Amino acid sequence: MVDDEPPDEAVEEELAEARRARGGSRIEFYGGPAASTIPIALFIVWAIVQSGLFRIGDTTGLVAGMLLALIVGMFFAKGDWKTYANTIFDGMTQRVAATAIVAWLWAGMFADTIQAGQFVSGLVWAADALSVSGTLFPAITFVLAALLATGIGTGYGTTIAFTGLFFPAGLLVGANPVLLFGAILSGAVFGDNLAPVSDTTIVSAVTQNSDIGGVVASRFKYAIVAAVLAFVGYLVAGSVMPGADIAASGAVLGDEAEPLGLIHLASIGVVIFTAVRGRHIVEAVSWGIIVAAIANVAFGLAAVSDMILFRAPDSVALADSLSWLPFLTTVPAGSDQVGVAGSIYTGAAGFFPLIVLTLLIVAGARIMIRGGGFEAIQDFLLERVATNVRRAETTMVLGTASVNAMITINTAAEIAIAPYIARIGERFNINGYRRANILDANTSALGYIFPWAGGVLVGYTEMQGLVGSEEFGWFTRELLVNPAEVWPFVFHGWLLFGVFLVSALTGFGLEYVSDRESEEVARV
Amino acid sequence: MSLLEKYLAGIGFRTNTPAFESGQEISAFVTGYDGDTPIARIGDTVLRVEDAPADAVDARALLRVESFDDADHTGTATYLERTGESAF
Repeated sequence: MVDDEPPDEAVEEELAEARRARGGSRIEFYGGPAASTIPIALFIVWAIVQSGLFRIGDTTGLVAGMLLALIVGMFFAKGDWKTYANTIFDGMTQRVAATAIVAWLWAGMFADTIQAGQFVSGLVWAADALSVSGTLFPAITFVLAALLATGIGTGYGTTIAFTGLFFPAGLLVGANPVLLFGAILSGAVFGDNLAPVSDTTIVSAVTQNSDIGGVVASRFKYAIVAAVLAFVGYLVAGSVMPGADIAASGAVLGDEAEPLGLIHLASIGVVIFTAVRGRHIVEAVSWGIIVAAIANVAFGLAAVSDMILFRAPDSVALADSLSWLPFLTTVPAGSDQVGVAGSIYTGAAGFFPLIVLTLLIVAGARIMIRGGGFEAIQDFLLERVATNVRRAETTMVLGTASVNAMITINTAAEIAIAPYIARIGERFNINGYRRANILDANTSALGYIFPWAGGVLVGYTEMQGLVGSEEFGWFTRELLVNPAEVWPFVFHGWLLFGVFLVSALTGFGLEYVSDRESEEVARV
Repeated sequence: MSLLEKYLAGIGFRTNTPAFESGQEISAFVTGYDGDTPIARIGDTVLRVEDAPADAVDARALLRVESFDDADHTGTATYLERTGESAF
């Protein structure tokens, strides 16, 4: 931190400021407090149209939508628009956004570094060594995809890696295509939900004032119940559903296998262990990156240049003379190859659109708070819907699930619903860990089920790339899984949602604020 | 809390009306008012916190339970100190 204040005091001050902001309606709107919801409401409509109707899973597109929504909202503000503009600034500088951003940048670097270190090839080797049949293939794929997603924290990345490799391999050994795609998506849900470096996990912890390690540990009990049932589901369905008819044979997986890639199970273990032990997530992930980078170089899994590389123009004499350095190379001057590359670079850069979007959404949320719209919706929910603790929890589960079912990019949906989960939960003294778990599980689950969900879309896009590819000449259009067919087979997604619905109705796993305190938010 | 305890915490079915003992000190949010009296609602249990300050609602505080009626799931508590804020 740049300022001299101890972080705890800074948080206290910011929260006190947030409380003051909620206290009075500081921005008056034409149309009353309801009009203060215009930026967020317009954004949600934009997100549904862009991603739901047009099937465009482009985060930067949502950024454009949120920017326009903020401009439109301004025209409804009474008096001096300066207050409205300043509220955007106030919203963006909130610590809740900054902590999530820091964690994403670190998580991105880690994920790309273990991918550069052939972790996927390690999983491929494991599948190949087990020589699984078509019947067992979906169940094993679920487990391996869950393992990858827990390590890299991105369900989308997992879906892409597995659809490109395990999907064709499974078809060749006689697995059912729809079931296999469902199993891959299920593994992605598992990791998105549980991984400490997952963007949705980070948002769930930060917005509910809880430490990431504690959140991960406390959600294990729900995830494992759903995962065991899903695994059994894939075993049973795998033996019933017929495989695709393919006029080819051979080993797809064998070529890609690299047993040493499994060394990154240790890198992932370091992150999970240190995070659950209560270390700051920045520290935990930094250790993971260090272990992964050392393992990459020591075992020849990836070169230093795969992790960080300066590609200087060859016209620069200094770069030319230093090009013996492992992280420096020269490329033709004036070409588009000039730049910086490697997993550290791409891992962080991959989160840039989401970071900008998050800043804008929290700005829109702040306008809704200052305009009184947040309070109006909250009061309606608390007075009419969430009238006792079981109903409050059920509202939290169904609210999170439905917002995520509508909005393709689940992190954006999660950020939009998070303040309500916090407030409704706090009014019943529901523990921060429990709130974070309800928020994240239903966000992760619903992000991979419906045809317009981001996870399904990236998988389908990758699958289309297999048609007519050099490597998989036998892969025809008939083998593509229609995104509209897969929804009943994302077993882990449905089961996780089911586990939380039952938990809300029965009190399974419920903890109150008075039962134990979550560790301080300064740990992120 | 040990690592194992962190994983095992919360396993089981929790009542919607947690009970407290008089003298017990608990951390909880003051959640609203019953008429003019500030209350801390924990699940569906309600503790009346008569001496809570005006800005206590939606902030976490240390409370001492003074009396508790098991049949009614209600009780009274004394406001000791503010210990934390709302997440939003």
